[in-house]
Amino acid sequence: MSKFADIQIDPAIVQRAARGDIRAHEIIYRAFATPVYSLCLRFTRVPAHAEDLVQETFIEVMRSIARFRGEAALGSWIRRVAVSKALMFLRSAWTAKGQALGEDWDETTAGDAVSHGISSQPSDALDLDAALANLPAVSRTIVWLHDVEGFTHKEIAKMMGRTESFSKSQLSRAYQRLRPMLAQHGEEPMAENAVLGSMRT
Amino acid sequence: MSSMTKDEEMIYGLTVHERYLLQQELAALTDTMPPRVVWDRIVRQATAEGIIRDPVAWRRSTWFGGFALAATVVLAVIVLPEIRTGSEPVTTHSVPAATVHVEPMSVTALQALMVESRQLESNLRAMPQEPRVMRASTVATISDIENAVAAIDFQLNDPGVQMTPEETELFWRERVRLMKTLVQLRYAQAQRASY
Repeated sequence: MSKFADIQIDPAIVQRAARGDIRAHEIIYRAFATPVYSLCLRFTRVPAHAEDLVQETFIEVMRSIARFRGEAALGSWIRRVAVSKALMFLRSAWTAKGQALGEDWDETTAGDAVSHGISSQPSDALDLDAALANLPAVSRTIVWLHDVEGFTHKEIAKMMGRTESFSKSQLSRAYQRLRPMLAQHGEEPMAENAVLGSMRT
Repeated sequence: MSSMTKDEEMIYGLTVHERYLLQQELAALTDTMPPRVVWDRIVRQATAEGIIRDPVAWRRSTWFGGFALAATVVLAVIVLPEIRTGSEPVTTHSVPAATVHVEPMSVTALQALMVESRQLESNLRAMPQEPRVMRASTVATISDIENAVAAIDFQLNDPGVQMTPEETELFWRERVRLMKTLVQLRYAQAQRASY
């Protein structure tokens, strides 16, 4: 479940922020900075890039909060802004490398992973965090958007300018790489209905 | 199991249970806080673009308001007994700057406050991360205290501000008091989150 959904902000604080009150903005920042930074770090893997994206996200929040109507939760809105900024960054990074959005599956990521302190040793492949970091950027992003943030394939496809099939196939390929992570965890009994109820399509 | 679920298993190569486990594991991955400097950068940019009011002016006004109050209290403590006892009018003498010295006791007191402040900073860093769910009032209070501490640091580190030893000690004493409150708040927050 998305961590953005757990955070509640008093509507009065949002109203103060809409009037340009720095203290209100700081309260909002302190409440959401960690999930925004974590999301950006998952997408980019580079702390400096993630910090820039946090800055861009909250500047956008400051600029636009007066137009926030409160129809959705503030967290959902901020998450949308953060995802949009992060995808824009990834798109520009891919563009800079001369790659199209769907062409990075076979991209060698080991060098990147090592350079950012993530070991690529086989023994460390048991670590889900490292395994996720070692996925190509598109797959990693789709796994996170779908399985953690709860976006549907339709929403992901729209945000990435691709088809639903593309999103599903990237997720499927990512699962094949992450599957070994599951082998080390014991099977826990659970009601089938509970499992099915938690699934998203 | 529905045919849709079977289709999904075919597509994804994971059983429903495996996908559930994976999603749980992903959601449980550790979050990371951004460095404090990111907020400062945001404030600088937002101020430059005119999105928010000048935060330095706000911080100064807030701090000076608090300082004025503290100074009033201190003055009341020092001056009122003098008034009550009807003592002789106080005559002031100008003392050449070169002859001003800080009493050894004051230096010790100041050093003790600095050490205590550092210890409180260290305690604060050792606290677990802020819980994901926080009461807005607590967030606001923490934010106010951190702003006040930042304003004190601004004053203590501003080379343009000339302070007497007494003022310096007063600032440090206030910093320690605020830090203690902050540690207590964060501790209470951590306790609540652990239930």
